[in-house]
Amino acid sequence: MKLIHIDKKEWNQGMERAQKEYLLFSPVKDKDKEQYLFGPLAHGEVPDMTHADTVLSPKSIIFPQTEKMLHASLDPSQPDHHIMKRVPEEYGPRAVIGIRPYDVKALTLMNLNFDTDDYRDPYWCDAYKATTFIALGVNSPSSVDFSTSMGSGPFDETGVDVLLVDNQDSYIAKIITDKGQAFMEAAGFNAEADPSARETLDNIKANAEKKITAKVGTDTLRGREILELYEAPFWDEIAFSCINCGTCTFVCPTCWCFDIQDETKGKACTRFRNWDSCMFPLFTLHGSGHNPRGEKTQRVRQRFMHKLKYFLDKYDQGTMCVGCGRCVESCPVNIDIREVCNIMNNYEPQK
Amino acid sequence: MDQLTEKIRELASTLLKDGKVDMVIGFADGTLPMTSRPFLATESDKAAQLVWNSFCSLNLTNYITGRKEKIALFAKGCDSRNVVNHIVENKISRDQLHIIGVPCQGMVDKKAILKAVGGEITGLCEEGDKLTVSSSHGDVELNKNDYLRDNCATCTHRNPVIYDELAAPLVEEQTVEEPFADVAAIEKMEPVDKARYFDNLIKDCIRCYACRNACPLCYCPTCFVDESGPQWVGKGQNPTDIQTFHFLRAFHCAGRCTDCGACEAACPMDIHVRAFTRKLNKDALELFGWEAGLDTEKRPPLDTFNPDDPDEFIR
Amino acid sequence: MANLFEHMGLEKERLHFSWISSAEAGKFVDVATDVANTVEALGPIDKFVKKVA
Repeated sequence: MKLIHIDKKEWNQGMERAQKEYLLFSPVKDKDKEQYLFGPLAHGEVPDMTHADTVLSPKSIIFPQTEKMLHASLDPSQPDHHIMKRVPEEYGPRAVIGIRPYDVKALTLMNLNFDTDDYRDPYWCDAYKATTFIALGVNSPSSVDFSTSMGSGPFDETGVDVLLVDNQDSYIAKIITDKGQAFMEAAGFNAEADPSARETLDNIKANAEKKITAKVGTDTLRGREILELYEAPFWDEIAFSCINCGTCTFVCPTCWCFDIQDETKGKACTRFRNWDSCMFPLFTLHGSGHNPRGEKTQRVRQRFMHKLKYFLDKYDQGTMCVGCGRCVESCPVNIDIREVCNIMNNYEPQK
Repeated sequence: MDQLTEKIRELASTLLKDGKVDMVIGFADGTLPMTSRPFLATESDKAAQLVWNSFCSLNLTNYITGRKEKIALFAKGCDSRNVVNHIVENKISRDQLHIIGVPCQGMVDKKAILKAVGGEITGLCEEGDKLTVSSSHGDVELNKNDYLRDNCATCTHRNPVIYDELAAPLVEEQTVEEPFADVAAIEKMEPVDKARYFDNLIKDCIRCYACRNACPLCYCPTCFVDESGPQWVGKGQNPTDIQTFHFLRAFHCAGRCTDCGACEAACPMDIHVRAFTRKLNKDALELFGWEAGLDTEKRPPLDTFNPDDPDEFIR
Repeated sequence: MANLFEHMGLEKERLHFSWISSAEAGKFVDVATDVANTVEALGPIDKFVKKVA
């Protein structure tokens, strides 16, 4: 793994060079609000590297909230009428700049769902394959960051193509994959870092991890019986304040549920998918009218059990939460997953 | 611990101990600075978790809809007006409620504080009107009254309009010269600018429905956006569909909205959703002399017919 | 409703309310013609109209 030295003064030029080959995404500040969201950059626009946490996770770059899947003509005079075909979409090379390392890890967890031996979601897979992740290590994690408790961290390299480390007036870039190498070549960054950089990087990383004060226990979750947690008495209390909005699931970097809708206009028909949320009353509502998760408490339990237990059991890849803290920050009624996780982890069933 | 919180715990604990109510609904402290959490206490020892501060922005009436138990509820002016709505709309009966009025000095706009301080806020201490905010940039002192939420700054019903007892003495009501200056500013615009204003307003909407679900008025068993046969509105991120959701939700609140601001407090995307309902509140006042939730004996204007109702729009 | 529509940028002239008895054929024709003429004069609408899905 090669370490490259990038002078911050040369950073913008490099990004402009990279833009000739890649569509760049980075956090973009809202023009009227103190709020950042990931978005594509126009030509000549440079990525914002001020380390702003985004309200929404960057998952929408690969998995848009509304995504066209298939379309068809309903005009009987057309030879292929009523035959649904994939909507053509350009998946040219794109790079996400300044993404948090745990957000990249989150995408690798989503990949477990969308890219399997049995089934391959073409929309996700094509977009994921086309994307290079240039992550920026988090030197000063916020107080809601609990990524180190959730098997990730502010310098996690899982799924990352290049890890940038902010070292005062320069970046140390750790090239992890060939995709990352290709991007750095396109950007023209090739000055090898001096040998001490490795130690500097390790120090910055250790310092950052030390700053994370939020500690969450997950050690007992794996060994527990599903029903023991499912039937535990604490869910009603956790769910009381919940208003069943979709905020937690929509800001979450690993929530992957979606709902498929058809719409027609004139003789054109489109099938597309929208993010769904286990908080919504329509979620898993059966055609018969029955809903196995008809009550608020059941929906809240579903979210936490999926993140912290079902996923763990099914994939053996840790929890489905990477500890980014977005839901903690955005929940209108302050349901705090750190608290819930600790309750689940420390639960002692009454016999 | 501040006096009001102490009083609230005492009242709640006594009510539960004496078996006068089955449950008390109030606020507990959140896990982050400037947050609070709607909280249910069913036993008197749980009452010690109740708090009251300037971040109890949500509307607790949202939590009593359709409940069968005898409930004690802490209510600010706006919450109490929504209790009145609930009684008028038969969502709960007056006998089921023990309302503890909490005269309100206005709630603080968390986002305004974030903007003023910059950096991450690590703590906030409140003493009277003085807010001491600790952040990564050190401590700053702010005057609470400069950071009130919009709806609190123009509120003329800080005292509860219906209550069984009070947790604190009544406060002086504000007089506001032009309560609807914001709406009037939009009314002056050209149609094309109005449309642009509302398009821009909702550009970040993610349809999480936090505004709807935090609203005590939105208690329909199935909301029109969730209906599928017929499907009234598309469910994707099409701007017209998003617009339709906000427009129709607002209209369902016409003559019922108390401008409590729970919708805005809940919005994760910092959208000024009250821009829709504010216009209807202004119309209700100007056309019908109506403010919602003041009287359990009166029905809202769009629910009744009166020969004097304005009808200039019909030709 | 008309007020909120107008507030959100829809031209007032696009929305008409009228009370017409089944016996008032003449009034019906007048109103319908008037609605058609005013709306036509405003041209095609681009607000509250969903573009292709």
